[in-house]
Parts: sequence; C-alpha cells; structure tokens
Amino acid sequence: MLNCRNLSKKFERSLFDKLSINLEKGEILAITGPSGCGKTTLLRCICGLEKLDSGSIFLNGKEITNSPAEVRNIGLLFQKPVLYPHLSVSGNLSLASRDNHDKALTEVGLSGFGNRDVHTLSGGEGQRVALARALLANPRVLLLDEPFSALDSDLSLKLINDVRALLKSRECPAILVTHNIEEAELFSDRIINLLDSIN
Amino acid sequence: MNSLQKIFGAIAVVLYTIITIAPIVFALDRLILVSGFNPTFWVQSLDKNYVSQGTIGFTFIQSFFSTILTILIGFPIAWVLGRHSWPFKAFLRSILTLPFVIPAIIAAMGVLTITGPYGLDIRTEESTWWWTLILSHAWFNIALIIRFCEPVLSTLNPNLEEQLLLLPNGVTFYSRLKNLWIPVLAPAVAAASCMTFVFSFTSFALVKWITVRDKTLESTMAEVSSSSGIQGYMESSSDIVLGASLIQFLVLLISLWLMSVLQRKRQTKWQQASENLVQNKNTKGWLVLAPAIFFVQLPLLSVILGSLRVRDASADSTSFKWSTAGWSEALQGSYSFPPLSEALFNSMIYSFTTLIIALPLGYALASTIHILEEKNLHLSKILEIYTMLPFALSAAMIGLGVMLGIIKLNPSAAYDFWFLPVLAHVIITVPFVVRIILPALRSLDLNYEENAKVLGMSKLNRFLKIKLPLMKGSILVATVFTLAMSLGEFGASFIVARNSEWTTLPLLIDSLRGKPMKDPLTVPASNAVATVLMIITMILFLVVESFRNQKDRGMF
Repeated sequence: MLNCRNLSKKFERSLFDKLSINLEKGEILAITGPSGCGKTTLLRCICGLEKLDSGSIFLNGKEITNSPAEVRNIGLLFQKPVLYPHLSVSGNLSLASRDNHDKALTEVGLSGFGNRDVHTLSGGEGQRVALARALLANPRVLLLDEPFSALDSDLSLKLINDVRALLKSRECPAILVTHNIEEAELFSDRIINLLDSIN
Repeated sequence: MNSLQKIFGAIAVVLYTIITIAPIVFALDRLILVSGFNPTFWVQSLDKNYVSQGTIGFTFIQSFFSTILTILIGFPIAWVLGRHSWPFKAFLRSILTLPFVIPAIIAAMGVLTITGPYGLDIRTEESTWWWTLILSHAWFNIALIIRFCEPVLSTLNPNLEEQLLLLPNGVTFYSRLKNLWIPVLAPAVAAASCMTFVFSFTSFALVKWITVRDKTLESTMAEVSSSSGIQGYMESSSDIVLGASLIQFLVLLISLWLMSVLQRKRQTKWQQASENLVQNKNTKGWLVLAPAIFFVQLPLLSVILGSLRVRDASADSTSFKWSTAGWSEALQGSYSFPPLSEALFNSMIYSFTTLIIALPLGYALASTIHILEEKNLHLSKILEIYTMLPFALSAAMIGLGVMLGIIKLNPSAAYDFWFLPVLAHVIITVPFVVRIILPALRSLDLNYEENAKVLGMSKLNRFLKIKLPLMKGSILVATVFTLAMSLGEFGASFIVARNSEWTTLPLLIDSLRGKPMKDPLTVPASNAVATVLMIITMILFLVVESFRNQKDRGMF
C-alpha cells in the first residue's frame, strides 16, 4: 500500500537516514521517539508538505515522491486540530466533502454538532471534528501527528480506542507518531522507534 | 466608580464638549441662519453653483480609483513583507509605512517637484494630473494596507494552509483563495480600503496642489470658507459648505460604521504562530520590495533635492545649479512671508499647546470610558462613540466649525485670538489619543492594580508607580502622534489661521509654493521648509516605531 524507501532528511543534523517503511492495507503503524527527533518532519515528508533530501515514496505502486501534497490524497491530523474559525463544524467538513456530514459526525461521536461554532468546541471535540473531516476526504493513508497528546488521559484513551476502531472498520492504513509508548501500544499494530532506525 | 472618579470624568466630558462639539454646533447654527434648513437644497446647490460644479462626482470617483490603486500597490508589498523573512525587517517596514505620517503638504511638494515645471513638466495635462493624484493618494495610503494586512500574514499559522492542501476543497489555488485567504484577509483589506477611501475623500493638500481644475468637496469648502456664514454676502457659499459638509459627514459616518463592523470581523480568532515559523526566505521578494522602496522614497528625496536645485535666474532659462539660495530665502523670509524660524516656532508652540490639552483630556476620557465599561457598559459605549465624533468631521469642516463658532462668540477673535489653531488641532487629535490610550488601559492586567492595593499603596501612588510606568509606551506614542499631527496639520489651519503671525510650517510651504514660478526660488524655498517639517516628522515617527509594541502593529 504505502512504500517508503531509504528516506533521508537533515536540517542542522540528520533527522532520519535511509529509513524504510512498509504499510499494508488497514495496518496501523506507530512511530515513536523523543521530541525533536524528526517524527513530525517524517509525516510532513510523506504527505508532501516537506521535501525529502533523498529516498522515494510509492502509494499503491505509483511513485509520489515529487507529487505535490494536494494530489497525494494522504490525510494528516495535526497535533492541535486545525479548524477554520470562519466556518461552522459543518462548514469545516464541507472542505472535505459536501455530503454525509451527519454520518461522519455520528462516527466520531458528535451527532448534532453540525451547526456548532468551532470556538465552542473543547479540545477533544475539535480533534474529533478534524478526524471526521480527514476521513470524509477518503484518504488513502491517514497520518496522525500526536493528535492525542494535548488531551487529558481519560479523553485521550477514549479517543484512541474510537479512532482505532473507526480506522479498522474502514480498513484505512494509518501512521501515528508519538513520544508516548503507551499510546503507541494501544493504538497501533506495529511500532517503530525512529532513533533505532537512525542508529 | 467613586465620587472623585465621577467628578473627574464629568469634567473631562464637559471640557471635551466645550472644546470640540460647541464650535461645530455654533458654526452649523450660523450657516443655517444664512442658508435656511433645507438639506436637499444644500446638496443641490453644489451642482448649481459654478465654483462647486462636478465636485461630488470627482470626489467619489477619485476616492474609488485611489482605493483600488492603493490595494493593487500595497497588497503585494504587505504579502512579501509578511510571508517572508527579511534582514532589518522593522526598518524596512518603517521605510515603507513612512508616507502615512508624512504631512500631505510635503507629499504634494515632492510630487510637484517631480511632475511640475522644471521637473517632468506633465502636471498641466489633464490625463496626467488625474492619475498623478490617484498615484499620490496610493503613495500616501499604502501604509494602511501594509499595517492592516502584514500582521495577519506574518502570524497566520501555516498549518491552516497545509491542512487545506490535504483536503479535496483546498487542492486548487482558487479553492485555497476562497476557503482561506479571502476569509482571512478580507476584513483587513476592507478595513484598510475603507480608511483609504475616507482619506482620499477628504484629501485637501494633494488635491489643491496636484489637480489643475477639478476640486473635491474638501478643497471646495476650504476655497469658499472665507465668504461663508455671512448674511447678505455670497450666501451660496453657506449652501455649498452645508451641502459638502452633509455629504462628507454621511460618508464618514458610514465609513466609521463599516470600520467598526470590520473591526469585529477582524477579531475572528485564527490560529497564530510565531513569525519564524511562518516566514521563509524568498530572494525574488526583492523584485517587489526594491521598486516599492523607490516608489515610497522618491517624493521625499525630491523634496530634499528640490530644496537645493535652483534654476538660473535669467528669464526662460532651464539650466539649474546646486545652491542653498532656497534655504537662505526660507530662513530670511520677506515682506510677504515670515522666516522659517518664525513658522517653526509657531508650529512648535501650537503643537505643544495642543499636546498639553489633548493628552490629559484624551487620557481622562479614555480612563472614564474604561471605568464605565465595568460599571455601566451602555454609557461607556455612548461615551466612546461620542469621543469618536470628530473622526466623522473632515479637517476643513473642523476648521470652519472653529472659525464660524468663534466668530459667533466674538468676531474679532478670528483675527486676534492666537489660540484658534490649537482649538482645531485639539479637536483633531483628542479622538486619536483616546484610540491609543483606551486599548492600553483595557490590556492592563488587573492583578497589578489589585496587588498594589494589597500592598497598601495609595490611589495616587498606584497611578504614579504602577499604572503610569506600565502605560508609558502608549502615552509616549500618543504624545508623539499628537505632536506630529499638529505639526503637519494643514486643512483646518488653512481656514483658521487668518493672521499672518499664526503661520505654521505647512502654511508657509503652501504660501511659498504659491509664489509665481518665474521666481527661481519658489520651488527651492518651499522645499526647504518642507524638508525641515519632514525631518521633524521622521524623527517623531522613529520614536513612535521604537516604542510600538508587537501587538500594536496594526495601530497608528
């Protein structure tokens, strides 16, 4: 499904070097490592927001290494939910698709939230709306950049379970990056430590 | 609100009413006495009278085109400045926004030096001067676009654009424009456009000196001001003034309302990030910045060079030499004009007297509004709008108000009451002081005050040792702003200053430039005075810039 071969990136120091990742359909992978080790940059390279120094990325057998982010059809959930404040919840979902808003909101446990102003959402609710929007776009792979880290532990645990179930039911492959091993174990099928891959 | 605060607030409001509102009411009373109360007739009289024919159309059309051109020139500069990192960025921003604080009369001199006789000599061609005026208004107002848009652009969280790139409705450039950039920037661009329209609509010095035939409502009012408000003498002047004032008042009022609506929209909380995260290097940006710097600095350089470039005295000569003869002429003065030192002295006295009145009065009003916000929100809003009323009056309207108002009380005061220009300057500057001080008072952390109370500090001590030091940046900005506005004020002073002993620097520039062009020192002498005023304004601007805090970047 997603094949990353010999990915390398350095800024002032090497973040990852000749890193290879294989992701199968419906598989959930977690990448761990301490803050600043390059986890976020790796996700940004995979979805096309950053350029790699070297290496290649294949999605369903087609090379997308140099494709712009907007045509890769890879979704990304940021650490802090990125919601557009001039749009309602439903307006935010419209950026992904005009239809099925109610179903998408029900899936993430926010039934009836369509007309809500995004300012009125709590951190967890905001992240759920961002997730609903990302899934509405039908991404071929979903990347999650520590989306649970800003939430309190109870809420984070519930959201981890909910999101995992949702991704599994849709057979949507996903990569979660996190510095929290527990979170990685709960969410994923397989774990890679980014520091190990460098050493 | 304790009793002392009540008395203090009441005195400030009464004083403000006497100084600012009463002269305008007296003036209206006098004009209506001459003209009768018939608003439709006032407006119709503008097109019936030869002196004011076509002014309504010209004022609206030139303001519209000036606004469009200002956006077209200003927005790319704001974008490049906001989205990319530049060496000496604060200095670059200061240079590019300098025109807005430069008195319009200096801009007029700079443009005239370039386009006038012995320059490019294109001023008298109608197709040229019309666009010259539009371009001059754009020069003057691009700072508004930069000041309103650049802070939004430089701090907008890049994740907002990145997230959109990854969603189906953000894939194309147009969809990102529709879903992100227009919602983000429209309120800022619209607010800046609104202000640009107002400034172009009430423009006086640039219209007076750059256009050859057409006039705006503002310049028409200034032209007929001396004959208005007199029963049995050129009564059509009063009709014209009332008609022009009514249209200007309505346009300014609508603009103020629009601005407040847009201000609320601008408060939409977009996720922000530090400038370092947002901005990246882009060497191609110099293709925008370098011409912009040239465009902005050219009229100012022309003023300086024009003060030293003297035409050969022989008739019809077009050869020039570099000389300080223009400076000598300006410094010495003549039978017709006071020396530069006298105009400088008058300007200084007027601006410092304005400061002594406007700063405490503006502070007291802002403080009263702020206290009322906790106790009586409704009353605080009414008072806030009341203090903004002078914004809805153009400089010529204020000048006429002061003059006709004082004539009603004491006719001879129009010629022997030296304080008259100060009155006009106070009316113009007090609302600005309130607008600068009020946000600063609102943003003061209550904990400081409460902690000082717990420490047993008296009210006076709390004010002197806590509040004043915390407010010093805003007070200094208000001080410098008041001084700069008063020093460069031209529209109201042009009407009010009937005594040659009251000549200020802008009035001296205007008088010197009005001399026949056959005198080779006409241009250099007026440019010499303009250079002095420009340098003083620049120094004041640099002081403001150094005290302007990061949050205030959208403020003037």
